[in-house]
Amino acid sequence: MQNIDAINSEIIERPAVNYLNNGYSLKSWLLTRDHKRIAMLYLASVSFFFMLGGIFAGLIRLELLTPQSDLLESASYNKVFTAHGVIMVFLFLIPAIPATLGNFLIPLMIGAKDLAFPRINLLSWYLYMSGAAVAAYALLQGGVDTGWTFYAPYSTTFSNGYVVATGLGAFIIGFSSILTGLNFIVTVHTMRAPGMTWFRLPLFVWAHYATSLIMILGTPVVAITILLLALERLAKVGIFDPAIGGDPILFQHLFWFYSHPAVYIMILPSMGVISELIANFSRKRIFGYEFVAFSSIAIAVIGFIVWGHHLFVSGQSIYAGLVFSFLTMVVAIPSAVKTFNWTATLYKGSISWDTPMLYALGFLGLFLVGGLTGLFLGTAGLDIHLSDTYFIVAHFHYIMVGGTVMGYLGGIHFWWSKMTGREYSEFWGKVSAMVVFIGFNLLFFPQFILGYMGMPRRYASYPEELQVLNIFSTAGASVLGVGFIMPVFYLVHSLFFGKKAADNPWLLPGLEWRTASPPITENFESTPIVTWEAYEFGEESGLHTEEARRTTLAPTA
Amino acid sequence: MATNVSAHEHHYHPPGLQHQFEDMGQQQESASIGMWMFLAQEIMFFGGLFTAYLVFRAKFPMAFAAGSNHLDIYWGTGNTVVLIVSSLTMALAVHYAQLGKRMAQVLCIILTMILGATFLGVKAVEYTAKYNEGIVPVTGLNRRTPAGEAQAPVETAGEHKTGATEHAYHNPKGEFQWTDASLAKKAEDAGYLTSAEKAGYYANGVLDANKFRDKVRIFYWIYFAMTGLHALHMIVGLGLMAWLLWKAWLGTYTADYYSPVEMSGLYWHFVDIVWIFLFPLLYLLGRHFGGGH
Amino acid sequence: MADHDKHDEHGHGEHHIVPIPLYLMVFGILMVGTILTVGAAVVDLDHIFPGANTLVALLIATIKMTFVMLYFMHVKYSPKLIGLSIVGTFLFLAIMFAFTMQDYLTRSIGNFSN
Repeated sequence: MQNIDAINSEIIERPAVNYLNNGYSLKSWLLTRDHKRIAMLYLASVSFFFMLGGIFAGLIRLELLTPQSDLLESASYNKVFTAHGVIMVFLFLIPAIPATLGNFLIPLMIGAKDLAFPRINLLSWYLYMSGAAVAAYALLQGGVDTGWTFYAPYSTTFSNGYVVATGLGAFIIGFSSILTGLNFIVTVHTMRAPGMTWFRLPLFVWAHYATSLIMILGTPVVAITILLLALERLAKVGIFDPAIGGDPILFQHLFWFYSHPAVYIMILPSMGVISELIANFSRKRIFGYEFVAFSSIAIAVIGFIVWGHHLFVSGQSIYAGLVFSFLTMVVAIPSAVKTFNWTATLYKGSISWDTPMLYALGFLGLFLVGGLTGLFLGTAGLDIHLSDTYFIVAHFHYIMVGGTVMGYLGGIHFWWSKMTGREYSEFWGKVSAMVVFIGFNLLFFPQFILGYMGMPRRYASYPEELQVLNIFSTAGASVLGVGFIMPVFYLVHSLFFGKKAADNPWLLPGLEWRTASPPITENFESTPIVTWEAYEFGEESGLHTEEARRTTLAPTA
Repeated sequence: MATNVSAHEHHYHPPGLQHQFEDMGQQQESASIGMWMFLAQEIMFFGGLFTAYLVFRAKFPMAFAAGSNHLDIYWGTGNTVVLIVSSLTMALAVHYAQLGKRMAQVLCIILTMILGATFLGVKAVEYTAKYNEGIVPVTGLNRRTPAGEAQAPVETAGEHKTGATEHAYHNPKGEFQWTDASLAKKAEDAGYLTSAEKAGYYANGVLDANKFRDKVRIFYWIYFAMTGLHALHMIVGLGLMAWLLWKAWLGTYTADYYSPVEMSGLYWHFVDIVWIFLFPLLYLLGRHFGGGH
Repeated sequence: MADHDKHDEHGHGEHHIVPIPLYLMVFGILMVGTILTVGAAVVDLDHIFPGANTLVALLIATIKMTFVMLYFMHVKYSPKLIGLSIVGTFLFLAIMFAFTMQDYLTRSIGNFSN
């Protein structure tokens, strides 16, 4: 990175000072208020926790290689899958895309100097790290065995694990998430550049706006729920204990009021990334822009009234089950709107097969499988057979990994040159995208069959006749692991040895491509004025001038 | 792409304008929307507790009425008035900040702080009374009387007319004490008890004082959770006021820049609104039933 | 920025200063509301229909809240967005209440044991 000062070429002039080389001290990073630097802090920490969660996932799959519980005894197995769930959900999936890509790109995409509240943005990173530290403390002390859902009364009365400490961690991280959402909403409302109207916003911004709504309206409910849980565990009043008139299902209602919309916190930003990738790599305005934009809002709103499909077998009333089952079918509609519009965008597009696009196409296939199997599970009758089996595990991994992680990796690759000013190896990028896709399917597709055959989740042992499929699954986990580790190597390698990146290598219309790579601290030399529509590749975009074309050239140092 | 010199350095920067904003209007609007978004999450935060309240009250209305009747309506009403007056003084603080009147501003903030502290003081008196009477729902957090002094009379704070003062109890473990099931008996006689309530209060087909006690305990748990969380918000509010007082004393807030006063005001009014709902929902249940008074 | 220019006319920019008599009037309404709440609680309204007492109490509380929001919190003089987000938040709160209660209130429906 020491060479970055020397970015100068005969053809293109680059600003000598950008956000990365504008100070190297630890203090300049830890006390920064620059949204781009905070995004990089998040990128490092979120990726670290993804690796950590991945190690626990590896332990789970290794244990399930054989039918007996031999590598881990049942008690440790419970702690391992809980650690996997808590780390992946609270420390990776929820902040993954909004806090890294969202943080970095929203001000760039709308033409602002920063988010509306830079200090609150930094505070939210510190909250995230403090919450992570508390959760890590609980983990090191001996962990929790309740599953990431902390269901009462097991968690309040019987569990010997560090429920309160883990809950406190999740509570703190929740406020980090709320502050991020608050910042995004205000920024989108008040910080748009002149000419950047609501319907010129990139769909990535729309998706993050919808996500932020869920963060603000949902997260506080899980915070208070965790607080009640912790108080109940300490005070033992019995509000979740049916023996004295308390109600364990109340916990589930409150928990899923947030935690189902939280699924959309995870997938909506990824959908935003995919909209960007599909439109830009087809070099076409996205098909039905308004529909895709409003389907994000629709998902956010309808997502709040479907939570009861997690309670079909918990003792919820049959009437409520019917209502929630019906509404679950309804929330599939906006998701389908998006999928169809992406497909229609590809039609007659001028498609290029760069690494980010491979991830996006992988997303389309995997999300389709994940979404449709979600409908199986949302059907109250069928769910009684499939509930708590590996079918559910496979379903939500197709959404969470096939959806969110694919979007996360696709986005990281797409904007890598913008974030770091360097190019990664396109060859290894393509290889990793293929390996991830193959490994993922090998890992999780057999689990649909296992679940349908009745293999329950959250057990360390299983009948011998299920071993073959489990071996497939574990083999897939190894392949997927390799696929996830590859980007770490070639991306880090590119930081030091990668080619200098062009400002706008693909000649794209988005505002984030009309500034330097990496951008200067204030993002733009002067406040940009937007005169073109979103995803405008024609003459209107101003991309066909000689000056614009020069930004597609990498500086030669 | 643009090659002109950075324009932002040549802008006139009014005091208090942060670098990411173009002008004061934009900054003010951002602060206002941001504060309201924060209040939206606060509404949902309290909303979780209100949902728990709703579920349990729908299940056990008589236990809730019995517990509520035992709360002190005079302290409750008094505190409501105190908070409303504090809301007025807070609104006036913003008003004088808008006019740039420093001393009036400072005075209003001080008044608001005094009223807020009064509210918390009353709350402390009420909590102490609950502690002395043994109706804090958490075992171990009630007044303990050593077994030897079992017959010593226990004085109670406040002038409660209920059964708690009439018998001296010993409570070595600091457990929740509640023996009065008269309201449930009354409702049973009048045929008001629903089947769900009967399932909650009955043991072997008859009304059971111990089972009724457990439901009253849930009411008190919710009472302490809700008022406790509210009190916590009051304490945070007092902290905000202290900071505001210092800044206002220094003359920071003028007719051009008073956003912090306005935002703190929004927070203070919000806490008041929570109490406006807590008061009838906790203190005034089934008063017409003639339980306590 | 794109639409804060528009807001300037009726929102921030030139701030609306609420006159003190109006504040005092709202204060009076709040005090009357408080007295009414306590008064209504000790009168038996439940004989009209079950839950009438609670309904009246909540109605008065909602009116009090509306006045605090409109005047003390200046919602009346703020951009429409603020009012919209308050209404929206209460809508989601109502969703939480309603969809939780639809479970509890229908537990006996379709249950074979009843």
